[in-house]
Order: sequence, then C-alpha cells, then structure tokens
Amino acid sequence: MTGELPGPAPEERPHPSGRRNEQGIRIDPEAEAEPEVRREVLSALVDHEPGVLAEVSGLFARRQFNIESLTVGPTMTGGLARMTIVVEETDPGVEQAKRQLRKLVPVHAVRELEAATERELALIKVGDDDPAGVAAVAEMYGGEAVEAGPEVVTVELTGTEAEIDAAVEAFERFGVREVARTGTAALAGGTEFTAHETHNNE
Amino acid sequence: MVGNDAFQEADTTGITRPVTKASYFASDPDTVGDTVGEAFELARKGRQGPTLVDLPKDVSNAEDVARPGPAAGPETQVVPDEADPEAVTRAATALANAERPVILAGGGVIKGNASEELRQFAIDHGVPVVTTMPGVGAFDETHELAMEMAGMHGTGYANMAVTHCDVMLAVGTRFDDRLTGGVDTFAPEAEIAHVDIDASEISKNVHADYPLVGDASTVLRQLDEALARSPDTDAWRDQCTHWETEYPMDYDAPEDEPLKPQFVVEAFDEATDADTIVTTGVGQHQMWAVQYWTFTEPRTWISSHGLGTMGYGLPAAIGAKVAAPEKEVVCFDGDGSFLMTSQGLSVAVREDLDITVCILNNEAVGMVRQWQDAFFEGRRMASEYPWGPDFATLADAFGAKGFTLDAYDDVADTIAAARDYDGPSVIDCHIDPREDVYPMVASGGANGLFALQEEHL
Repeated sequence: MTGELPGPAPEERPHPSGRRNEQGIRIDPEAEAEPEVRREVLSALVDHEPGVLAEVSGLFARRQFNIESLTVGPTMTGGLARMTIVVEETDPGVEQAKRQLRKLVPVHAVRELEAATERELALIKVGDDDPAGVAAVAEMYGGEAVEAGPEVVTVELTGTEAEIDAAVEAFERFGVREVARTGTAALAGGTEFTAHETHNNE
Repeated sequence: MVGNDAFQEADTTGITRPVTKASYFASDPDTVGDTVGEAFELARKGRQGPTLVDLPKDVSNAEDVARPGPAAGPETQVVPDEADPEAVTRAATALANAERPVILAGGGVIKGNASEELRQFAIDHGVPVVTTMPGVGAFDETHELAMEMAGMHGTGYANMAVTHCDVMLAVGTRFDDRLTGGVDTFAPEAEIAHVDIDASEISKNVHADYPLVGDASTVLRQLDEALARSPDTDAWRDQCTHWETEYPMDYDAPEDEPLKPQFVVEAFDEATDADTIVTTGVGQHQMWAVQYWTFTEPRTWISSHGLGTMGYGLPAAIGAKVAAPEKEVVCFDGDGSFLMTSQGLSVAVREDLDITVCILNNEAVGMVRQWQDAFFEGRRMASEYPWGPDFATLADAFGAKGFTLDAYDDVADTIAAARDYDGPSVIDCHIDPREDVYPMVASGGANGLFALQEEHL
C-alpha cells in the first residue's frame, strides 16, 4: 500500500534509555518493574438511597479494581450510609479508586483508613456431634452459639478477617455446613473521624 | 410499572450510568424540576460531560409539578479554585530548569477556554507545543513553536519531541493510549507536570511528578507567576526544527493516478477561512483531515477522538452549524462512516443547513483494512466495501446537492461549487484506495519508533 513518508527509519533514530513501569512511573531501566499490591480499607460516606451500591460496585467492576469486600449500613445522620471497601491494589491503584469514588455524585467523602478498627461478623453452622468441642472453639474465638440442635449448632462471632478465617478453619473438624460473613466494617482509630461530611471529597 | 419489563422498558439509568457524569431517575413530581436543574449544572461544572434524567411517563404527565428552586449542582462535587501553590512552585522550578521542555495541550485547554493563556505562556517562555487530537486548535499550527499532533498518527516531529523531552507540561489531557503508545516508553525521561480539573486523571495512566488540579487558565496563570525565568530552549528548539525538516508530512500526488486524500484536504483548507469548522467520522479520512488541514483556532476541529465513534461527522456538522450559523462547516467523512448516519441529511435539508460534506471514498473501511494489511498479513475481512451507494445520487435523493469528484483538474471547481450551493451538499470524492495513513505508532508501541511506511511496522 502507498502513503509512505520520507525520513530516517525507526532503527536509525536516537532513543532515550529511560522507561516507565505499568503505572507510568519512571523507573531505573535495570530495576524490576513489578509493583507491590497492598490491602487497604477505604471508608465512604454515601447517600443512603437505592442505586448507590450498584453505582459503586459498577465503578469497581468497570475499572477492574480488586475488591475484597464491600459493606454498607446506615449512619447516625439521616440519609447517609457508610460503605467500607477493602481493596487489594498497588499504591496508584488505591489512589485511583479513591479519586474515582469521589467523582460519584452520591459520594460525600472518601478516606483511606490507617490503624483502623476492623471487624467482621460471621455465622458458622457446624455439626453438633461434639457440643463441648464446638463450645470450646467458639469460646476461644470469642463467639457464642446462637442456635443449637437438633443436628447443627450455629455460632456467631466477630473479629478481624484473619481471626474469622482462623476460626472457620478451627471449626472444620466439626464439619462446617455453611458460613455467612458480612465483610469488614471499619472505623478510624482514636479520635479521628472516619469519613465525615466535613471532609466533603477534599 | 417500572421494573416489570413493560413495553419498550429499558433500564435507562443503569445503561447510561457508566457513560454519564450522573444519571437521574426523576420519580417525584415535587422534585423533578430540581433534579433537571442539578443535571444541567453538573454537566457544566468542573470537567464538562453529559448527564441524563430519565422521566417516567407518570411524571412527565403529572399536572401538579412543584416549581423548582434555583438550579444548583450537587454539593458533593468540589472543583478547586486553583492548584496547590506548593506544587505550582515545584513545577515552575522544574520548567525553568528544563533543557528540553514541551507543552502537551489536550482537549481540556479548549473546553476550559484556555487557548489564549496557553499560547501566551508557550510564546513568552519559548516552549514547543504538541497537542493531542482533542487539543487540535488549542495552538496555532502555523506558529514556529507548533509541533502539531502527537500520538499514533501524529507527526514524526511531535513524537520525537514527546519522546526526547525532559519536562512535559501536560494541560487538560487524560493520556489516552492513542497518544501515549505504550506507557513504558512514553516520554521516558520527562518529569511531568499535569494540569487537569479532574483529579482522577492525575497519575491515572502516566505518573504526574507535579499534580496541578484546577482550571487550565487559572493554573497557567499561577505557573506563569511562579516562573522565575524562562527555560533556555534555543538548542532544543533547533533540534525540534531539525526534526520538522527530517520528518516532513510530504506526499506524492501523481496527476495520472487516482486522487490523493491529502491533496483534497489541503485544497479544502486553502479554499476556506481560518475559522471554518471541520468535523469527521472515524478512520483514515479523520487522520488525513487532522494531519493535512492547518488548524489555527480553537473549536474548529470536532471529532469523536478517544471514543472513536464512526458516523459522528454528519451529526456533528449539523450541530456545529446550528450552534455557529455564521461559520462555514465542512465534514470530512469516510464512505464507511457516512453510511452509519447518512439519514442525517434529511435533518440538514429540513433545517436548511449550509454544510459541505466531503466523503473521502476508498470503497473500504480503510483503517481496518490498513491494520489487516499491516498486522494480519493482508488477510482482509469485512473491510473492503465496493457495494456502497452512489453518494451524489443519495444526496440528491434527500434533497441535498450531490457532486462526484475523480480528477485533480476538477478539485478546485467541485469544492467551489459545493461550497457555493446554499444548503447541504455532498462531494463523493473517489480517492486512491491504496493510500494508507502514516506516520503510525503501532498500538502499545514507542512513539519515537513511528513507522513511515508499512515495512516499519
């Protein structure tokens, strides 16, 4: 086909030796370009109305953010709900997730929580062949039986995600039939506000 | 009824949510007016973009509708007044010390009405300017600092400047992949100062060493005030000029061969005023139009850019003519793109719009064919289309005026006749079907390795 233009061919041109990684950050040309992924808890204050959850989860799906859990519930302020989103992303990925969230009209504030208090609730239904054993494990993880027998015991417990993972594993020997987990809810540590109206997407 | 899959029901707000700034379902006659007001305000606020309000039938039929309050955008959307002064100072220092600075002007410069500030800044400080495709017109392409468009089909000199710069001041651009090529090789040695009104564009695709969130003209003013001195760019500008002579946008147009599209674009440009508005579809014709028309004014280049929607040209020309009836409007289209929305001629005739459509007809979806030739060993699939209509006859059938153009000798006269016609006119311009678009940066490739012919790809 025609349309060729004059000028030196690609291999005849000077080329800079620098390069960037996948995130577009300039790096040492010799360095390893694989970025590290971290687990981060984001808290968002959002309008408590239908469609908001779809909007947020749609954003995360569309932009292929890796999301571990997403929980939502009302706050003390009428009309506002708090969303806790646990993401597993690179540094730029976490930043991008926060910025994209702030662009959504129903989102009032977004914060990344450091030193957060994190808890998850789990209901674990196990066989009741060894009620004393179940009770002992439940006690060890700070849980309690909320429904017992005839053939099963349902244990309720709260803890960090890792604690619940461990508890579920400990219950395995009694035969875990089903597990329901809420996903992580979190508040900022100390006197700091988590995500507050005063933050207003700054 | 909503949610029951009634006749013609579609989840309009759900479908449109990913492609709008916000999508509202106005279910309450008491607040519908406020919702519409908010949608309009939001569309204009910050980074402009479409919003949508879905009006259910019972609301649009309601007689008892509350009077809306003053239109107000949503409180959750915060647009900063100016960029962080500390980042401005650091960016200004980097720019003052730069040896090979480049300004990259994006569509945000035009949307933000900052072309004047950008031109002044570039000229005052002697910084060469490249543009993205949406940024075409932000800078005067006849100015000595103009390097024109960079990216996949940008000029060789623009891509050399982008590749070799040491500081890039990027204004109102989202670093689309068609601009950057592979990010690993994009301006690989440059510190980047990124001005954008949308914070979520900062470091999204390319890391910004100096993030400057704010309105383009405001931040350019801040930078100008913070700049202690202009960078010393004499040697760098000589280098850029050298690249301009090394990689000229020259083409052959032998009289005894079919018409070259570049020649037709240039002939149109010569025949028309500087403020003529050019619209396009998507494909080879679009690239020839942007490469060979010399743009000097903002808002004279209207294309679908990163979205790449074929069929955009004619509707855009209609919209442009309605919005700016005092200006001449020329639509360059491809035969493939034109067929997607040619029914719009009926609107142009109805509204008596004096627009000129020039179809660069190569009987193919040419850009697809070019890729099949270059990357799929010439295995052409659904890209050649010799079954298109006679576009001049089609135009006449709509009540517009059709022309056919085949020979170099007729180019000037046909363009003159089509422009003289008072109403919509269509030139079916039969171009050399063998012509491809160069320069070309392969998808994900390095801008500095742009191909000047198929063998380079």
